[in-house]
Amino acid sequence: MANNAGDDQYLPIAILIDELKNDDALRRLNSIQRLGTIALALGEERTRSELLPFLIENNDDEDEVLLAMSEELGKFVPYVGGPSFGHTLLQPLEQLSQVEETVVRDKAVESLCKVAEQLPNSSIGEHFLPLIKRLSQGEWFTSRVSACGLFAVAYTRSTAAQQTELRQLYTQLCHDETPMVRRAAAQKLGPFAAVLDRDAVSRDLLPLFTDLTSDDQDSVRLLAVESCGAFAAALSKDDCSASLLPVVQKFAQDKSWRVRYNVAAQMVPLCEALGPEMTRAELVPAYIRLLEDSEAEVRIAAAGKVSAFSRMLTPPLIVSQVVPRVKELANDSSQFVRAALAGVVMELAPQLGKQPTIEHLVPVFLNLLRDPYPDVRLNVISKLDQVNQVIGIELLAQSLLPAIEELAEDKHWRVRLAILEHIPLLANQLGAEFFQEKLGPQCMRWLEDQVASIREAATKTLQKIAQEFGPEWAKEHLVPQVLGMIKNPHYLYRMTVLVAISSLASFVSQEVFVSSMLPVLVSCAKDRVPNVKFNVAKVLERVAPLVDASVVSQTIKPCLAELSEDGDADVQFYARQALYACDNIQMQ
Amino acid sequence: MATSQPDNPYRDLDEQIARLMKCQPLPEESVKALCEKAKEILVQEINVQPVRCPVTVCGDIHGQFQDLLELFKIGGNSPDTNYLFMGDYVDRGYHSVETVTLLVALKVRYRDRITILRGNHESRQITQVYGFYDECLRKYGNADVWKYFTDLFDYLPLTGLVEGKIFCLHGGLSPTLDTLDHIRGLDRVQEVPHEGPMCDLLWSDPDDRGGWGISPRGAGYTFGQDISEQFNHTNGLDLISRAHQLVMEGYNWSHDQNVVTVFSAPNYCYRCGNLAAIMEVSEGMAKSFQKFEPAPRRGEPEVSRRTPDYFL
Repeated sequence: MANNAGDDQYLPIAILIDELKNDDALRRLNSIQRLGTIALALGEERTRSELLPFLIENNDDEDEVLLAMSEELGKFVPYVGGPSFGHTLLQPLEQLSQVEETVVRDKAVESLCKVAEQLPNSSIGEHFLPLIKRLSQGEWFTSRVSACGLFAVAYTRSTAAQQTELRQLYTQLCHDETPMVRRAAAQKLGPFAAVLDRDAVSRDLLPLFTDLTSDDQDSVRLLAVESCGAFAAALSKDDCSASLLPVVQKFAQDKSWRVRYNVAAQMVPLCEALGPEMTRAELVPAYIRLLEDSEAEVRIAAAGKVSAFSRMLTPPLIVSQVVPRVKELANDSSQFVRAALAGVVMELAPQLGKQPTIEHLVPVFLNLLRDPYPDVRLNVISKLDQVNQVIGIELLAQSLLPAIEELAEDKHWRVRLAILEHIPLLANQLGAEFFQEKLGPQCMRWLEDQVASIREAATKTLQKIAQEFGPEWAKEHLVPQVLGMIKNPHYLYRMTVLVAISSLASFVSQEVFVSSMLPVLVSCAKDRVPNVKFNVAKVLERVAPLVDASVVSQTIKPCLAELSEDGDADVQFYARQALYACDNIQMQ
Repeated sequence: MATSQPDNPYRDLDEQIARLMKCQPLPEESVKALCEKAKEILVQEINVQPVRCPVTVCGDIHGQFQDLLELFKIGGNSPDTNYLFMGDYVDRGYHSVETVTLLVALKVRYRDRITILRGNHESRQITQVYGFYDECLRKYGNADVWKYFTDLFDYLPLTGLVEGKIFCLHGGLSPTLDTLDHIRGLDRVQEVPHEGPMCDLLWSDPDDRGGWGISPRGAGYTFGQDISEQFNHTNGLDLISRAHQLVMEGYNWSHDQNVVTVFSAPNYCYRCGNLAAIMEVSEGMAKSFQKFEPAPRRGEPEVSRRTPDYFL
């Protein structure tokens, strides 16, 4: 780093500085993005006295350049001489926080917060609070919008009197005549509430929240709802139930679907803040209504919270209230709703326990496993283990295995992959005999799948199964079947066998490996396709440490030596790499 | 465990490939060096580059990097699977830089395992209009990388010939080229011309009408089944394999199986809704096709209509 800076310090710096004034916006942008390098070269003193004034004067540039400037200045405290000079950055950032383009303003506010965090408390009072005040009372709405984002960072660093003033200023912003400002105030209400003490939240912010949530602009209401999760966390339980709950209940029936969507999205933090009892008593009807909403978007958001929300409920309540809705959602007309449900519904099983799961949920799972939309099927499969723990493998096998066998041949390869990746888990639960009967043949078929990723994953799965059931079992049920596939007329499938041999090598006895697998490898060294041959070399390199030195010197090395003289450059290369590795083992 | 690292002259290159597989562009100097090495390799290849089977033949990629990774997931990784790409690596998609850098890096690392032909988009003129030039400028801040690549493109072979039987190229035939020997005689190391034999190979399309026709593209020709049959007969070929045209199923037979079109950019331009395909040519020269869908996009949840951030 230091060296690099030294390298580009002289000539390139002059160019960068020149290009700050270039006519071509792209050049200016390039230069601005390396503002740190320029500052480093100029030194702290000249950065303060020359670079910053230059930037302050030249702030009428294209948005892209201003955006980069806003971002760079946020990292600038070290370049101006550390925190005690940090306030010198406030003026340029204050300007940037008032421009017309939103992304520039947002970035400037973000940088202002970064700088403020590093300022000493004295600078906060002397420089940062006056800035907030100026922006809050700015004539044009852009400055007032930006002001909203600065309160949280300043508040904890201020004196009690200053804090009172900040709360008053924020109150003004919440009642601003421009909806844009109220929107910003609503949006930042949550973060601001998080730094206030409980009393102040309840006394000063709660009325503001209530006002914003009854704003006549639905875009303001919407953002106020977004902060209700954070708000709930900052309030006492009593305040929550007295003030927050009615608002939430009202919003769950708002005429704008976007507001209802946001309520659904906030459901989890809300019920966590309210606690199980109040959730059960007060929130269930509202949540159920969201699950039945007429808009698919709202149902998507609500369906995705089914298990998180149910964690607050008792099993009987889940069965009587949530499960009927879940059954309906599993047949929802929107595939996105069904996919959202499928992603979480399996998590209900541990909450309900064995009997209710079998009775109520398994039919839903089966239904979703046969869904025409692959993402729905995938989402169910990836959570299979949760059900397994609850209902036990026998029942799972009886009820779900037929569906799983069907999915093992699914036409979407990612569905096949998901099933394949769950096979070791199923193997573990099913036991060797049952596994061999139900899934063993399928695993072999996956080794000859048309999709390369499936074949590769199948070799990994075989390895895990061999590990699970032990070398004797692998010797009988895996090795002969795998080796039989080496006669495949297609090189890609023969190479899969090589990879499978390499995966299984550590999980069979050395005797089995040397007597049955190694000869296959050696014979493949004479394959007509070079790709097979260099894969033989790679596999030999991997297995050499697993066998006796005599096998390495009598079988593996002669084979590699021959390959290293092959006419194909890649075969030569990998054979020589492998030989080198073998020599290294022998030296140990 | 090992006392010393085995001597691997490709260590840097292997690292670069690993980095590119994560869709991270290489530094400018690395691209420059890579293009120099690629040039040394490509200059030794001929206009009708012989290719051994088995090989997997692929069509347009157009900077759809995630979908190129999907192609490798389906067809197998390089160098385990042999590949022949029929041009159009750049333009249109968001990741032309990463796509073409990866393919060139693989070519430099495994020259016998991968063949990369020239498409009509591997040209200075076309890339200035359809995105590659702008992408280079955006990602590197200057046009040098664009220059390294477009200078390299001049060296790409125009066509490939699998075991003397499957003739692979980007576009199609030319009325001025009756035999493969004619093609072998072209001086290819230049920008793609506006007309003439080299231009036709990269621009022409097969057509339902017989004979030669004027191409609606403004470059190259259209050619009928009679032309394809004659060309295949004259040159002892089984098949002309080409890319260049979007086909909804990823591949498409035409001219009574004298011509096949393979297109490997699924949901072309992120909006066409087409499947992609690759053609696997086995050791016995048997042809099989694999179709694939676009790679799942990261960070885009399955929501049909999302709440906008503002309503003003």
